[in-house]
Amino acid sequence: MRISDASPISPAGARIAAAAALVLLLCVPLVVRDIYRLDLGITVLIWASLATAWNISGGFAGGLSLGHAAFFGVGAYTSTLLFLRLGITPWIGIFAGAVLAAMLGALLGVITFRLKGPFFVLATLAFGIVVHIINVNWRGLTRGAAGLLLPFRGGPQNMLFLNLWAYWYTGLGLLVLTVGVSMGIERSRLGYYLVALREDEDAARSLGVRVVRSKVIAAAVSAALAACAGSVYAAFIQYIDPDSTTQFELSVQIALVAIVGGMGTTFGPVLGAAIVIPLGEMLRARLGGGAALVVYGFLLMVIVLTAPNGAIAGVRLLVRRLRRLIDSRRKADA
Amino acid sequence: MQLVLQIVANGLLIGGLYALLAVGLTLIFGVLRVVNFAHAEFMMLGMYGAYWLWSIYGLDPYVSVFLITPVVFLLGVAVDRLVVQRSIGKPDVTVVFATLGLSILLQNAALTLWRADIRSVSTFATGSVFVVGGVRLSVAMTVSFAAALLFALGLWFFLTRTMYGKAIQAVAQNRRAAALMGIDVKRVYLFTYSVAVAAAGAMGVLVAPIFTIFPRVGQTHIVTIFVIVVLGGLGSVPGAVVAALLVGIIRAGAGFLIGTAWGELAYFAVFLLVLIVRPQGFFGRRGAEVYGG
Repeated sequence: MRISDASPISPAGARIAAAAALVLLLCVPLVVRDIYRLDLGITVLIWASLATAWNISGGFAGGLSLGHAAFFGVGAYTSTLLFLRLGITPWIGIFAGAVLAAMLGALLGVITFRLKGPFFVLATLAFGIVVHIINVNWRGLTRGAAGLLLPFRGGPQNMLFLNLWAYWYTGLGLLVLTVGVSMGIERSRLGYYLVALREDEDAARSLGVRVVRSKVIAAAVSAALAACAGSVYAAFIQYIDPDSTTQFELSVQIALVAIVGGMGTTFGPVLGAAIVIPLGEMLRARLGGGAALVVYGFLLMVIVLTAPNGAIAGVRLLVRRLRRLIDSRRKADA
Repeated sequence: MQLVLQIVANGLLIGGLYALLAVGLTLIFGVLRVVNFAHAEFMMLGMYGAYWLWSIYGLDPYVSVFLITPVVFLLGVAVDRLVVQRSIGKPDVTVVFATLGLSILLQNAALTLWRADIRSVSTFATGSVFVVGGVRLSVAMTVSFAAALLFALGLWFFLTRTMYGKAIQAVAQNRRAAALMGIDVKRVYLFTYSVAVAAAGAMGVLVAPIFTIFPRVGQTHIVTIFVIVVLGGLGSVPGAVVAALLVGIIRAGAGFLIGTAWGELAYFAVFLLVLIVRPQGFFGRRGAEVYGG
């Protein structure tokens, strides 16, 4: 991404806008009484977090991963199994899942950091499939395709709520965490390192960027946050199986959400979730599952071919135009 | 001993089928520098073509293959024009996700049009076997194996012995220099992509009598094909053939010894290992894995 593509809003402005958006989101359960809409909203929050997590390694560092469902699954299964087998609350399990996923992410980062373009993509794809095969076949641990059901025990102390609004706030907390980490990385030295690596690895290396370290940290953080989203998802849906957690299609959709919104930016993936998830839901209701996915595939093709910077680029253009309009009005008034 | 021979024979036959897909995929990568995620979807379309022509007009797949392959070729022309060529030279994200989007689209278009029902074609070739030295060989598998070898040989002859084949090789080596020598690079792309997907379509028709047909059938094979082309060296045609036969044998052997699921896990582990240790594969040019565009 060129400098001229940078956000038209100043960092301070962005912070104010983010704070305003957060206040609005906090009020949502007070306004939205419809269970269906609130449920959809929670799904959007989880997907926004997941896509934001993907974006840290996929967008900032440019490592297009098609295996992120593996980390989502590790998070979902770790917190759920700890709860079912040992009675450990998911509030702790979520961190255990994150640590485990971070270790896996770092391992994958260490073994793939040299690979470029399609080779990196295929390696992450293979990794995701290995995790999926293990998940389906290690029946003693995961119960395979039968899946795991979370019994409703305990309530809030076990991340299990009677009210949807409580899940809304849990999801919002997850989103604040992932976006916060993403913002922190974007503005940190590591963030600049990652973008430099993405644009020209040899040049960045020659200027002293620590290639392996930066990539591995990005991969680990990205994996850990994806796992957190997995734990929250498991507590929300209260049933997980390999198809809903570690399947290849899920990895594709994670990347798709981030790409549609705008990869390499902090708020692009969030915007992507707000567009793709409700759209997908609407299409499924109107056209049925298969036809909805036809539109998905078409959308993915058209977006990457015509607007690889995603929807956020359009929003930025709009803001810039509005600014110019306001400025010219002001001048005319004066 | 008999058992070992049988397993090797089964592995070789299935490996031959994979070779027909893998050669096309590796050729597309070598020339266009595009990983064609939609490759196995053309096989799926070939299978459905065989099914409909068989169930409506009673055409045997060994006849309809001559009708369907040109149709898939034309489809390849359209896809190359509309999607693939537009992604060439763009960032990685475009190159990867354009064909991935196409794959999702084709799979689900098939699902919507023809439902998820499992279909099958039964002809004289279904289930019929012949015995050579105590080893039982499926007729349909042997036919498609022979077709795959014929295609690979023909392609090799074409690439090394004809002017146009040499032009394709020139584009694979250096597209800019090739263009400067007066080669119409875009036409080479078009031709390469269409021939490769037509081969995938033909394979779909040939295996229709023995494989079950459903919209996501391509997906069950594409990842194995990826494993094969990376093992053989992305872009290397002989590498793809050797790796396909090897993976076929490993699959059959592992399936017998430790069960299909864990066998699959085994070759994915090998795949990851090869990517890490020798990303250019066994036959690939050194440095192919860092080639940017």
